[in-house]
Amino acid sequence: MSKIRVEGLKYRYPDMDSLVLDDLSFEVEKGAFIGIVGENTAGKSTLCYALTGLVPHFFKGAYGGNVLIDNIDVKQSEISDVTSKAGLVFDQPFSQMTGSKTTVYEEIAFGLENSGVEREEMRIRIDNSLRLMDIEHLQNKNPYDLSGGQMQRVAIASVLAMKPDVIVLDEPTSQLDPQGSDEVFQVIAKLAESGITIIMAEHKLEKLAEYASKILLLHKGKQIAYGSPKEVFSRDDILEYGIAPPVYVRIAKALKLKNKAGFYPITLDGLKQQWNVGDE
Amino acid sequence: MEPIHSYTDKKSYIDQIDPISKLLFAFVSIFITYLFSSIPITCFVLLISIVLLMVGRVLRKIVPLLAISFTLLLSIIIVQGLTHPTNEMPLLTLGTIVFYQEGLTFALLITLRVFNMLAAFGVLILTTKPDDLMESLMKQGMSPKISYVFLSVFQLIPQMRATLGKITDAQRSRGMETEGSLMIRIKAFFPLLGPAVLSSLNMTKERAIALEVRGFSSKGKKTFISEEKSYFYPKFVRCGLIILLIAAIVWRIVG
Ligand SMILES: Nc1ncnc2c1ncn2[C@@H]1O[C@H](COP(=O)(O)OP(=O)(O)OP(=O)(O)O)[C@@H](O)[C@H]1O
Ligand SMILES: [Mg+2]
Repeated sequence: MSKIRVEGLKYRYPDMDSLVLDDLSFEVEKGAFIGIVGENTAGKSTLCYALTGLVPHFFKGAYGGNVLIDNIDVKQSEISDVTSKAGLVFDQPFSQMTGSKTTVYEEIAFGLENSGVEREEMRIRIDNSLRLMDIEHLQNKNPYDLSGGQMQRVAIASVLAMKPDVIVLDEPTSQLDPQGSDEVFQVIAKLAESGITIIMAEHKLEKLAEYASKILLLHKGKQIAYGSPKEVFSRDDILEYGIAPPVYVRIAKALKLKNKAGFYPITLDGLKQQWNVGDE
Repeated sequence: MEPIHSYTDKKSYIDQIDPISKLLFAFVSIFITYLFSSIPITCFVLLISIVLLMVGRVLRKIVPLLAISFTLLLSIIIVQGLTHPTNEMPLLTLGTIVFYQEGLTFALLITLRVFNMLAAFGVLILTTKPDDLMESLMKQGMSPKISYVFLSVFQLIPQMRATLGKITDAQRSRGMETEGSLMIRIKAFFPLLGPAVLSSLNMTKERAIALEVRGFSSKGKKTFISEEKSYFYPKFVRCGLIILLIAAIVWRIVG
């Protein structure tokens, strides 16, 4: 059984004329790492909201089709029940901090307090999240005194403490410097290894090529492709959707290095391998 | 740059007063300045707020806020000084421009009231951990949504400061003057205000979403990570404030 099933999902924001999500259908296996790509305004963020119940519970508007998590319809559930299964991390580190908490430790507790978790259990979960995100040394600091990368890891830890099966991340590194961005990618890779299903909207395609098991390509709210990174990034029409494929794909293209299945390599290692095969 | 959060535990006497009492104090204090249109009484009330800020060791933090609001109030002072309907007694003459006593007195009252409003809320905001206020309000049965409004008020100033900092950096990197004499700084400050306010509003929206996905409006029972704090006789302080409020109203009606 798949973890998430999206069936004919359509959505329009209130008072807007056009569909932002136009007939999306795809399935996500448990433990998969899905990358959502597409140019600006393609609908990536909106899809992230739909997967976590913010659409249609927080953002009203016209909604059609179904989003099922563990076979339960998001539309018919309470938003807090959805978010305890599928957590959401945003791009802006600063606005994800509650502002009511004065330490990282308490900040991570916020979601647990809201769902009525007992204090002892809270402490165990917070300690675990701190360890996984590698921020134990920051637990007594004020969240606002942290760097962007550190704050973003606190945000992920806060979601993680809720023990979700799925974590949806909307361009979590777009506001970070290269170092902060690497820190965040490393902890996300760790999460993926631990069996949590990851869905991530991202512009840094090199990173997705490295980590993602599947890529969903959106354009003007429509689903253009859903397949392996090799398959999607090898498409000849990818530029038409405002996507510059990862640099290794572009090199391979210039060198005409395709594998037998007709795909370009998407990582440095893949490129090297393909080069050697071509040599023989 | 200074840390952008507004609260740090100073372990002063004011930190030991419970948040609801401080909220009540702010309302009583502001109410009294409007109940009596009297400059001496308003001065006295303001003095109390300032003494409390001093005891709480946060007076320094409120000064920039008073300065900014004073620059905004200047226009009221000028307009009222020149054109208040009851103007009779000339007080100050600058060439052909005459400022009248009645208008200036009226403007002074407004200024004192605004200062007191800032100072009284300053007592609450600068000496209370935001979370403690939220928790107290919710334990009093207030809905999370309304508690969130209070939280946003707490957030507004640090948020604007953070944004201003960012925008200043951006403008400096494009070669705009942001340092130097007061005049240069003021000139650089105003074009920043628009973007800062807009982005703060936007952040408030983003934060609302972020809180939502962390179960903020969940209807179930909440738990709290920190042990309940003990405050200085909360009931006693609150009763005192309410008696003060009633006394002020009675005095106003009888006197
Ligand atoms: N709250 C809203 N109300 C109305 N329209 C919105 C709202 N949020 C987004 N939109 C519109 O929906 C469309 C898709 O926006 P969305 O933010 O999902 O795109 P995106 O792919 O995440 O873009 P980006 O790469 O810029 O983050 C855009 O045309 C946008 O203007
Ligand atoms: Mg987006």
